[in-house]
Amino acid sequence: MIGLLQSLIDGLGRGSIYALLALGIAVIFGVMHMVNFAHGELITVSAYVAFGVIVTAGWAWWAAAPLIFVAAVGTSVAIEFVAFRWVRGSSDFTMLLTSFAVHFLVQAIFVMTMGASVRSFPRPDWADRVWSVGDLNIQVIDVVVIGATAVTMAVTVYLLQRTMFGISLRAAAEDFDAARLMGVRSNKVIRQAFILAGALAGIAAIFFLMRTGQARPTTGLSPLLKGILAAIIGGLGNMQGAVYGGLLLGVSEVLLRSWLPEDLVGITDGVVFALIALFFIFRPQGLLYVRSAERV
Amino acid sequence: MRITKLLVASLAVLALVAAACGDDEDDAAEAPATTTAAPAVEEEPMAEEEPMAEEEPMAEEEPMAEEEMAMEMSFDVDAALDADLDNCAAAPTGDPFIIGFAADLSEVGGFADIPISEAGGYYVSLINCAGGVGGHPVAFIIEDVQGDPEVSQRATADLLDAGAHVILGPPFADTGDAVLQTVNASRAVIFVASTEPVLPDPSIYSFMTTFSDTQQAEAAAEFAIDNGITRAITFSSEGPYFGYNPETFAAKFEELGGELVLDVSYVPFEDFDFASHANEVAGVADGTEILYTAMIAPQLDALRGAIEERGIDSITYFGADAFGVSGITVIDNNEGVYWTDHGFGTDGNRYERLNDGLAAMGMPSEAPGFAALAGDAITVAIQGFIDAGSTDPLAIAEAISQLTGVEAVTDTIGYAGTDGTPDTPVYILQIVNGETTLAARMQ
Repeated sequence: MIGLLQSLIDGLGRGSIYALLALGIAVIFGVMHMVNFAHGELITVSAYVAFGVIVTAGWAWWAAAPLIFVAAVGTSVAIEFVAFRWVRGSSDFTMLLTSFAVHFLVQAIFVMTMGASVRSFPRPDWADRVWSVGDLNIQVIDVVVIGATAVTMAVTVYLLQRTMFGISLRAAAEDFDAARLMGVRSNKVIRQAFILAGALAGIAAIFFLMRTGQARPTTGLSPLLKGILAAIIGGLGNMQGAVYGGLLLGVSEVLLRSWLPEDLVGITDGVVFALIALFFIFRPQGLLYVRSAERV
Repeated sequence: MRITKLLVASLAVLALVAAACGDDEDDAAEAPATTTAAPAVEEEPMAEEEPMAEEEPMAEEEPMAEEEMAMEMSFDVDAALDADLDNCAAAPTGDPFIIGFAADLSEVGGFADIPISEAGGYYVSLINCAGGVGGHPVAFIIEDVQGDPEVSQRATADLLDAGAHVILGPPFADTGDAVLQTVNASRAVIFVASTEPVLPDPSIYSFMTTFSDTQQAEAAAEFAIDNGITRAITFSSEGPYFGYNPETFAAKFEELGGELVLDVSYVPFEDFDFASHANEVAGVADGTEILYTAMIAPQLDALRGAIEERGIDSITYFGADAFGVSGITVIDNNEGVYWTDHGFGTDGNRYERLNDGLAAMGMPSEAPGFAALAGDAITVAIQGFIDAGSTDPLAIAEAISQLTGVEAVTDTIGYAGTDGTPDTPVYILQIVNGETTLAARMQ
């Protein structure tokens, strides 16, 4: 029982980062009908910014974190402006290819400019700290990540439900053309969606980098895949579902890690994907039903 | 409007036809992969002096005969490293000795081959500055294999077409195999940074520049036993490097009388939440163990932090050569960590001079060990050229297989009587008081 509880806590900590990324992917899918494979590059850029300011400039983590956040938001807006704006209205396939192009381009730029080596930077002192409660070992960073994700979710829900920004975004997600006829400015609403997605990725990046302490050209790839997977599990376009998907994915990984025989632990990801494929046979719409599959 | 389109289309077609009919030599001149060659080569275009028949590729069919070679062929590593690029000797005027590098500059192997390419280019420029090799300039041609076996074959073919006398190879077995297949034992292939035990094979002139994974893992086990450690924990993953090293370490450790108390699986590069792994370690460890793994430095940092938070803070941490290039000196929690590496820079030795020279040129190597290996591989190729007394690639390959005691950059290297893995030592380094120190040199 203690083992199960321990795995649940560890899994929620891991899954919270997936949830934040899945949220951003769901927001972009909502307004652009596109799975954004360039979303992971926000983590990659953030990682190199972290390396630059922490190692090269000697900043402390508390000072670096806001800059990491700004870098993710700025990169998200830049990607929209440089790449996606020009293919808006094109077929889904074109937009998908564009997101792949951005993904590989950013990766290549980092290989050319920073090299392919792993760039390490120190993690915050408290990242490894553990609170022992009876037989439970609760990592401080897990508690912080879970808390931050809950707050971010609440703020995001407020933004989407109670502000003009959110109403415009939801209207555009429901029916873009009708929203434009009602006075919603398309450029603005899409830019705002990318700002929101970038902000969510920025928060995820801060915690992800606090755990990993490394930058390399493919840093964002694994979290991107997990984020997309979580968004799909939750029901693409459904924000609540994206969060549930992320948490479920994180908990599944940790549970399998502790339940699988040691010889099979290496295929944890494979087992997770197999289970997800099985899940979709019975529930192809994902965890939560999305009427139009496009709603934010 | 239609006429304009028609005109543009016609021009495009004409341009394509013109390009297709263009002179191949132009292509060769325009697509030089990165090349470091002596100025003399550029100044004296070959075609003007001795027009070659079209069907006669340069390198393969006109190896320099022994009598054409410079009479006093020798190579002094120290003289090259001491060369002043602002004040070079007279440019060598002989035909170039060409070293081709099938380099993996992608995000897969670039961690090794980008620093090797930079250091190799610099080292060759020093050699040419010091007068070349017996009056022959050295050319260093790089083709990117992009981490892809199919591209590797094309890149290697390009290097062969360019007349490379010796090929330097990429770090991993998949692309390395592709290089070997393309070369097809027609000349020596020297793998610069690879530690893959499956690659060397003297029967096809396939050589490594440094120790194999078997050697580095066994050296770590011997070092641990020599230092009185009898209990070990390994962190491993399926696969050649991250799995093979811990497995080999464990086998040797147990053979020498030690006990493997736990092997924990992890995912290289991806796992950073080591809570459950650390719980497993805390369940069996008493603090006297050595924890051996081939994981990269940031992962070890996270793992060690998680283990120490559970009250186990006296374990000895030991890694493979990936540590040295993944930020071991940057991470906070690195004190006391050991790892195996390819050399050690100290007291103005060659390793240090090569890396200091790179830094002085404004391109400090992010992987000093790999930079030094670039020097080793080029030195070996040159020594093979000297011993062969010819640019015949097969004669050079044969000469390399017989080399002994070559004074290279990291140490001495020899291949005679080996399986293609050189008899070079394994350096065991340790962080002490925040500085990298030499803990042992295991032959």
